[in-house]
Amino acid sequence: MKRYIRLYFHFLRFSFSKAMEFRLDFSFRIIMDIIYYTVNILFFKVIYLHTPMLAGWNENQMMIFVSGYLLVDAINMTIFSTNMWWLPYYINKGELDYYLIRPVSPLFFLSLKEFSANSFLNLMMAIGFFTYSLNQYTGPFDTLDIFLYVLFLLNGSMIYFCTQMLMILPVFWTHSARGFVDLFYSLGLAMERPDRIYKGWLRVLFTFILPFAVIASFPARFFLEPFDWKLFVHTAVVTVFIWSLMLFVWKKGLQNYSSASS
Amino acid sequence: MNWWRHVMAMEIRKILAYRSDFWIIFLGQTAVQLVIATALWKSIFETQGTIQMNGFTLPMMTLYYLIVPIGMRMLTGENIGFISREIYDGSFNRYLIYPLSVFQYKAVTYLTYSLFYGVQLILLFSIYQFTMIDVTPTLMTFVHLFEGVALFLISATTYVLMAMLIELLALWADNIWTLVVMLRFFTSFFGGGFIPLAFFPLWAREILVFTPFPYLVSLPVRTVMGQSSSIEITLGIVVLLCWSFFFMGCVALMWNKGQKNYSGVGI
Repeated sequence: MKRYIRLYFHFLRFSFSKAMEFRLDFSFRIIMDIIYYTVNILFFKVIYLHTPMLAGWNENQMMIFVSGYLLVDAINMTIFSTNMWWLPYYINKGELDYYLIRPVSPLFFLSLKEFSANSFLNLMMAIGFFTYSLNQYTGPFDTLDIFLYVLFLLNGSMIYFCTQMLMILPVFWTHSARGFVDLFYSLGLAMERPDRIYKGWLRVLFTFILPFAVIASFPARFFLEPFDWKLFVHTAVVTVFIWSLMLFVWKKGLQNYSSASS
Repeated sequence: MNWWRHVMAMEIRKILAYRSDFWIIFLGQTAVQLVIATALWKSIFETQGTIQMNGFTLPMMTLYYLIVPIGMRMLTGENIGFISREIYDGSFNRYLIYPLSVFQYKAVTYLTYSLFYGVQLILLFSIYQFTMIDVTPTLMTFVHLFEGVALFLISATTYVLMAMLIELLALWADNIWTLVVMLRFFTSFFGGGFIPLAFFPLWAREILVFTPFPYLVSLPVRTVMGQSSSIEITLGIVVLLCWSFFFMGCVALMWNKGQKNYSGVGI
């Protein structure tokens, strides 16, 4: 474990020095994410011009949810996104070989090697907006509620990562350029809407099969509403299932990997 | 000279190279965006206890969000980096010795994607028309569909010029894909791709009229839905052409200035 932590600090150092080589790109990415955050906030601001409540939440409560999913997005953009971008390329070009022969877990190495230093500043901004939303929130809450909310959001980030991996790993079989990652980005929209808007089969889809609604909406419900054991068990089951499924597909994919001739 | 036919045929072969992926992604993306938007608006309509909001009923809203994702794909084509990537790796050299303008070539490759998605829009619309006949707004016809697709192709031409302007910044900057993503955000949000512009405050709509965004997304979508008058469509085409000429001038200016920076060996 110690070795992995030390290794991760090396990743961080390399990523920061690499990011500083391209300063203009560094600034562009910050501006891009600011625009992304603004557009997301404006989206709900415009909707609340026409309705006082959405999925049982008022605007104040919705901003808590929005700040939550922006935080999940920022965590994933910072820690995983660059690695996810390169993974199909490594698989198709046979460059996975270099990672398979190293004396560390290939999954650890390939998922965490590139820390996106540019997005790190945006993560700070997302934390800023999260804090601002909490300040604006008039409902009752204490430090434990915030701690639990953050914990559930971190768990949401893990579900987000596993789902993204599950959309990329078919590359082992299809050898397409990006797997189904474009579809994943479209599905990501499901995370950005409160889970109560999904009814019937759509609810089953987004809370069990492709659990995007569990990522940020469930944590927001833990924070905004009285603790619900059913919701807690649901989150735990989905987390364990999707993590195991991702590991299973990853192992199967590696068995199917035909090295440089892929 | 019908070189563009060969270029288009080549691009279509590229699009269809991974057929299963292509159809899964295309149908998946369209369906996902449609069902999520419909679920959201259904919830809003139910909360408000109304059947119409700002001129939209729920079936009209559903149709709106069926057209938007395909329309956006017609606009934004397939590739971020369709010029910059080649500037960065030095392969842009080949266009300098082609016996035709690089920008014409790039515009044709880009618009092939738009045309292809236009055909898909017609296909999906036909399915929608036959399956949702009882809830389809009566104004919608195939004439409006073809008008809307044509308008989307004109707006895609304007958009490709805007994208070229940004892509050419690669002659100065290290990495520009983020700027193209920003352009997509702006076009989608201020064009009415996320929420119909009818829901924006009046002051915002009055400002947006002076930008190309409403003509890029909202106008073609409303045209497909049969909600635009002939005058609006004509005015929209004139505005889009004006913006296109403006951006064409900017692209020419940037290329004249920027080609001196092009090393031909990549970075």
